[in-house]
Amino acid sequence: MIELLAITDDPSPLRSPLRLVPAGEVGVVVAPADEGEADAEALWRRESLLEDLMRERALLPIRYGTRVEDDAAAAAAVAPRAGELAAALERVRGAVEVSVRAVAAGDPEPGPGAPEAVHERLAAAARENALHAGPELLRAAYLVDDAEVDGFVAAVRALQHEHPELSILCTGPWPPYSFAEAPER
Amino acid sequence: MSAIAEREVALVDLLDRLLGGGVVIAGEITLAVADVDLVHVSLRALVSSVETARPK
Amino acid sequence: MSGKSKVLAGPLDGKLDPFARELPHLGKALSRRIDADPESVEQGLAQLVLTIVELLRQLMERQALRRIDGGGLSDEQIERLGTTFMELDRRMEELREHFGLEAEDLNLDLGPLGKLL
Repeated sequence: MIELLAITDDPSPLRSPLRLVPAGEVGVVVAPADEGEADAEALWRRESLLEDLMRERALLPIRYGTRVEDDAAAAAAVAPRAGELAAALERVRGAVEVSVRAVAAGDPEPGPGAPEAVHERLAAAARENALHAGPELLRAAYLVDDAEVDGFVAAVRALQHEHPELSILCTGPWPPYSFAEAPER
Repeated sequence: MSAIAEREVALVDLLDRLLGGGVVIAGEITLAVADVDLVHVSLRALVSSVETARPK
Repeated sequence: MSGKSKVLAGPLDGKLDPFARELPHLGKALSRRIDADPESVEQGLAQLVLTIVELLRQLMERQALRRIDGGGLSDEQIERLGTTFMELDRRMEELREHFGLEAEDLNLDLGPLGKLL
């Protein structure tokens, strides 16, 4: 079994254990499927591979755990959507995903508009944004131009100072997991 | 912020992405009992719809 | 523990606990299997069977909704579909309770179809 890791349109060769399987106008980054139990270290190793790749080419990460029999199966699974995936690559090219979560810092309770105000400010500094469901007052992903990441983080810090009633966490950069599928899904 | 705590919160963000994000190619589900894989289900095989001819 | 920190900015008090609460719950979702308590084979089999039943029920319910939206069904058929699915839903809940299973125990991630429940 092989694991499907990411979609790319860059044809340049990959370093072992990664291989590139052509599928129409895009390619699939694959690796031998890891048979071991998925633990945190295994996930971070997989993520490292993707993040190294992300620094040198545009990619769309594939949902974790996607496995097929062989290269032919990989091409067959991806090729029908090649056009759509090529368009998605254009949307994310030159950008990374940044995660922001905000919870109440304690007393006093944050006003109802605070998380929304934070989100709107950050959305304005990003190419695209996606709100996620979660236990926090705000859980969002932002697609940020490579060159704008430092500015984005500075904006997060400024917002944290402006909103001491919130506890804000910002992590990244991540491959564009939240922007890989078209929004209409 | 300790390195361990940072790693943990980052893991939450990573898992959120791995489980809920990314391109969805044909998926597979493994059903297991007592840790023994028994049934392998392909999503593509499962999803089909029944159409009837429109009444005249 | 290795690798660069992914934290770009954090709270003023440096407390990260509130952002790590989900960890034990998420760990279960990693392996896309249904884990059965090996000491209770009956419950494990029930979990397996009920998950498949729930899967089929959900697929049929969604398809029924598409058919209703698409037109082409009589009012009587729509009525019967509605009542039947309500009954099925109720019956599934009874079965789950009987085997001591929570809704989460049947909650598969179906990729493009979203989560089962």
